[in-house]
Amino acid sequence: MLTIKNARITFNAGTVNERKALDKINLSFARGSFTTVIGSNGAGKSTLLNAISGAYALDSGHIFLDGEEITEKPEHFRARIIGRLFQDPLKGTAPNMTIEENLALAYGRGTRRGLSIGIRKADGVFFKEALSRLGLGLEDRLKSKVGLLSGGQRQALTLLMATIVPPKLLLLDEHTAALDPQTAAQVMRITGEFVRENNITTIMVTHNIDDALHTGDSTIVLSNGRLVLTLEGVERESMTVERLMKVYSAAANDSFGDSMLL
Amino acid sequence: MALGALEQGLIYSLLAVGVFVSLRILDIPDLTVDGSFITGSAVSVMITQLAPEGGASALIPALSLPAALAAGALAGICTGLIHTKLKVQPLLAGIITMTGLFSINLLVLNEKPTVSINGRPGIFSVLYDLFSVNPTTRKIVAAALLLVIVALVAALLTVFLKTQLGLAIRATGDNEDMVRASSIDSDNMKIIGLAIANGIVALSGAVLAQHQNFADAKAGTGMVVVGIASIIIGETLFGKRSVFNSLLSAIGGALAYRIFIAVVLQLGLKASYFKLLSAVIIIISILIPIASKSIAERRAKEAKNNADD
Repeated sequence: MLTIKNARITFNAGTVNERKALDKINLSFARGSFTTVIGSNGAGKSTLLNAISGAYALDSGHIFLDGEEITEKPEHFRARIIGRLFQDPLKGTAPNMTIEENLALAYGRGTRRGLSIGIRKADGVFFKEALSRLGLGLEDRLKSKVGLLSGGQRQALTLLMATIVPPKLLLLDEHTAALDPQTAAQVMRITGEFVRENNITTIMVTHNIDDALHTGDSTIVLSNGRLVLTLEGVERESMTVERLMKVYSAAANDSFGDSMLL
Repeated sequence: MALGALEQGLIYSLLAVGVFVSLRILDIPDLTVDGSFITGSAVSVMITQLAPEGGASALIPALSLPAALAAGALAGICTGLIHTKLKVQPLLAGIITMTGLFSINLLVLNEKPTVSINGRPGIFSVLYDLFSVNPTTRKIVAAALLLVIVALVAALLTVFLKTQLGLAIRATGDNEDMVRASSIDSDNMKIIGLAIANGIVALSGAVLAQHQNFADAKAGTGMVVVGIASIIIGETLFGKRSVFNSLLSAIGGALAYRIFIAVVLQLGLKASYFKLLSAVIIIISILIPIASKSIAERRAKEAKNNADD
């Protein structure tokens, strides 16, 4: 489904601040797999997602998505089949437009935007139904500006927008980190439902090791832009937070801990 | 006097609508306007001159309006390409196009600073002849024609903003990240938006040239400020609850602005202070909402303090 070969991204190359965000990364994600990504700050987790989505260009290496090389394709092109959520709930929605206008934009994913009417009657009914599944009462506020919603509501809406036309790949970048625990749990639950129902290949970056080990079906650990550990199957099931920390420090040979536990 | 201000207001309300598209919808302060307004005037006058001498058909002057619109749209596309493809800041991209347009406008006008329609029929004079009206009713006929043009542009724009493409352009000015994440090329949206904005601005210039029977190559300076002033005055007076409310407010603002200018001129202010007046009006219009907010806050604070005492 998604294959990354020898991917390299270096920030501030040739200066004292040079940092290898991705250092010869090789990864492969099977169709329908759900992978969690952990690592300390600066390990390259977000850079990995940005490289896949096309927000950052690779310095060298290749990315193949669904059999097609997308290394040189622009972000909006990849977005036809990639859905994306950020940590910042404000990033995924247009605040001065209404809920239904936001949904209508997402609903047109992968199509040419022409002069046909933006929101048809049938769309409105469909949006209402989709919103009611979030259980946040947004289905009665189709004409409200998104800027009036809370962070949790906006993130849930963004999740719906990212999946309303089921993408082949869903990238989640700490998408519940800025929410209160209760809302975070709710958004996580809805995420799981959407992903399972549509069999979407998912990559989720998180700072919460517990979430990482108990969500999805495999976990990868990054450090200084390198892949240091892949956890799958029985090994992953038997893994505890304490043991992971030990294994990680041995593998990564760097100070691991506090920053990660955040 | 009042009717003159109404005509002027309607002509410049097109300018306000054009600037509204770039400033409020795309969130780009686009200075191309100072050039594209005159491009519209120049194209319209030169095409109107093509009519045979002594003819009375409205066809050629009427066709000059869409031609002016297309020329303005081209200017907007230039600014859009400079901004998105060369990664130049939008303000600078607009200045580059505007500067280039000064020469292009002069070229269109055969290198003359002012060019009249040379006694050829314009869109207004054809109507005057048709109704063989006296000077007073002429103004009413002119205002009626202008009203039709403004209503047509506002209605078309409103419908356009509700299409898929219109939604995508509006979202580009609101959250570009989200637009790209929805598989929309935000660069193209900006280019199309700037084309529409400058097309409408050029149409405003064309209608002005038809109304005064000549084009003036130097009259473009400060047009963008006039447009912004109209928008801000409109928002202060008539609100900005939704994008369509804001669009109507911009038109109302342009009318209010012209009436205000007419009153001030009547009171004896010299025309040379015109631009300064425009700048001051913008400052005051921005100050009013800020001041009223801080006064309201202070009152609320005092009320709270009094209650605590």
